[in-house]
Amino acid sequence: MKRFATSVCAALLAVALCAVPALAGGEVLVGAITPLSGKISVYGEGFMRAMQLAQDEVNAAGGIKGKPMKILFEDNGSTAQGSVSAIQKLITVHKLPVIFGPAASSNFLAVCPIAQRNKVVLIGAESAAASISKCGSYVFRVFPSDLLQGKGVAQLAKGLGYDQVVLTYVNNDWGVGLAEVFSKDYQAAGGKIVDQFPHAAGASDYRSELLRIKKAGVKAVVNLTYIKEAATMLKQAYQMGLKVQWLMGSASKSPKMVQLAGKAAEGVIGTYPVVSQDTPQYRVYKAAWQKKYPGKKLPIFGEYNYDMVKLTAKALNLATAYNADAIRQALIKASQGYIGVTGDKSFDANGDVKATYGRWTVKNGKIVDYK
Amino acid sequence: MYYLQLLINGLVAGSVYALFAVGLTLVYGVFRFINFAHGELITWGAYGVLLFMAPPLGLSLGWALVPACLLAVALGLACDRLVYQPLRQSDRVTLLIASIGLSFFLRSALQFIFGADLTSYPLGLARGFSWGELSITGVQLAMVACAVIFLGGLFLLLTRTRLGKALRAVSDNPELAGIMGLPLKQVGWTVWGLASLFAAAGGILLGMDTSLDPFMGLANLIKAFAAVLLGGAGNVWGALLGGLFIGVAENLSVAVLSPGYKDFVAFAVIVVILLLRPQGIFALAGSGGVR
Repeated sequence: MKRFATSVCAALLAVALCAVPALAGGEVLVGAITPLSGKISVYGEGFMRAMQLAQDEVNAAGGIKGKPMKILFEDNGSTAQGSVSAIQKLITVHKLPVIFGPAASSNFLAVCPIAQRNKVVLIGAESAAASISKCGSYVFRVFPSDLLQGKGVAQLAKGLGYDQVVLTYVNNDWGVGLAEVFSKDYQAAGGKIVDQFPHAAGASDYRSELLRIKKAGVKAVVNLTYIKEAATMLKQAYQMGLKVQWLMGSASKSPKMVQLAGKAAEGVIGTYPVVSQDTPQYRVYKAAWQKKYPGKKLPIFGEYNYDMVKLTAKALNLATAYNADAIRQALIKASQGYIGVTGDKSFDANGDVKATYGRWTVKNGKIVDYK
Repeated sequence: MYYLQLLINGLVAGSVYALFAVGLTLVYGVFRFINFAHGELITWGAYGVLLFMAPPLGLSLGWALVPACLLAVALGLACDRLVYQPLRQSDRVTLLIASIGLSFFLRSALQFIFGADLTSYPLGLARGFSWGELSITGVQLAMVACAVIFLGGLFLLLTRTRLGKALRAVSDNPELAGIMGLPLKQVGWTVWGLASLFAAAGGILLGMDTSLDPFMGLANLIKAFAAVLLGGAGNVWGALLGGLFIGVAENLSVAVLSPGYKDFVAFAVIVVILLLRPQGIFALAGSGGVR
């Protein structure tokens, strides 16, 4: 009994020692839940690099009130359960008042009630689902809500003269949400959706889905999906001899998608929240990236992650204290009129930002703006 | 026509599932446990090609195929020698858990070496062959051909060679086989060799058809497992038919279900079989032999 009691006390002591306040050691810690493994790890590596780039610049400019900023990365395995474990660890063990939320709206939506309940500031850099606007006062995102993108895709389809489409979307909160918004806007504009169905994320064989599209006999397909899935579908469509105009969303707009799909990606058109590449901020970001990671392509949504870290650093410098409420106030104040690489990041009452949607296409193996 | 194309797709997918299921069931028949690390043999086989294509060896895709299969076979034998053999006398749950642990280990090792990112073989993009409204690609034809050749070879091995007959005897009753002087060690090696070879070949073909990622083995393992259960654990021909059935069912289900829920079919099969006929469709009463 005595030995049991001693070992329990020793274990409790060890746990208590681990939960040191995040300011000890002279660093300002910020949490980050990132998909470093699993289904969307193809995005995660780029996010981490973009965040580290911003972190280095913040520290080179003096850090947070003299102390260096350090981002504590937690891998969520690309799943909602992994994200929940990660955020619980960051909140209870490390006691962090501000956390960068996970990619994929499903994962973000899984953790935002936890952040709101524990009064921890949660910021997202690439979560587009419209329902995130209702997450609460402690939840922010530098990425625009899909309410706007759905309209953009509908306008794209109608504008190009397609009155009938097949709609397919990846089977998660992002895909389902965006599909709903698109179908409402598209049908209100007089379009007809001949067939619609979700497809599984991360599958290696989409031929059955493609067959259904072939059966419908339409000229255009609205495909709201991620990089890996888009590439596989395009490749298999090419092999099957299926010729349609693919209309996609922002999550597929990546050089990696073009690299995976090869010539099958030629001619794909999509929408994305416009990030002008002509601004001085973008040029500075691009140059800094190429200096730190020579030879590596700019990652999809990297600019958003970069802006998120820089904006948070500004807020931390403004904050009167290192706790969630002070950081929250400072964040709202810091965002007003803040022009980052991705444009105006002023948060509105729901913690959302605005955006204009532009169009991209794949031409000669490169992603360019669609005129 | 639409349904015929779905059927063709189903048979192609099914032949690969059959390869995996047969390997899994061979191991079960002789060693009496489900090897959850079987999925990793699939993945390692597929990634092995990339390993041999990279510097310093720098082989071309065609020349890298055989070494990749040999790598998977070596891996399978090593797993047996280092992990499963010491646990041979333990109960099935221990072996199962050990195989789950081994699967995590192998998957993480793969991720460590190759990264968690998606990759693919440097094959060009080619249009498939088509007759009217039906189409099939070269790789899909290769999948079916490979399955036919390998499974045909297995049939000849099991029925015409001494080693094959010894294998069937050992899976029927290991103790008696040992007493009769059958070469248990050789049978064990053969089983692991065949299972790993089939897994690697299927994995490479899948990689050629689609792409590679560290989790590809795990996803296919579930389908293979469903096929094994369907056919009766330990029954090679049951596993073959089970694999084909799951492939066809999965693809035909797209006509009625939403394609996003295709994976549902394999899980539904597992549940239904376990509820209605847990010994599998082809299992004879009270036996677990390789037939």
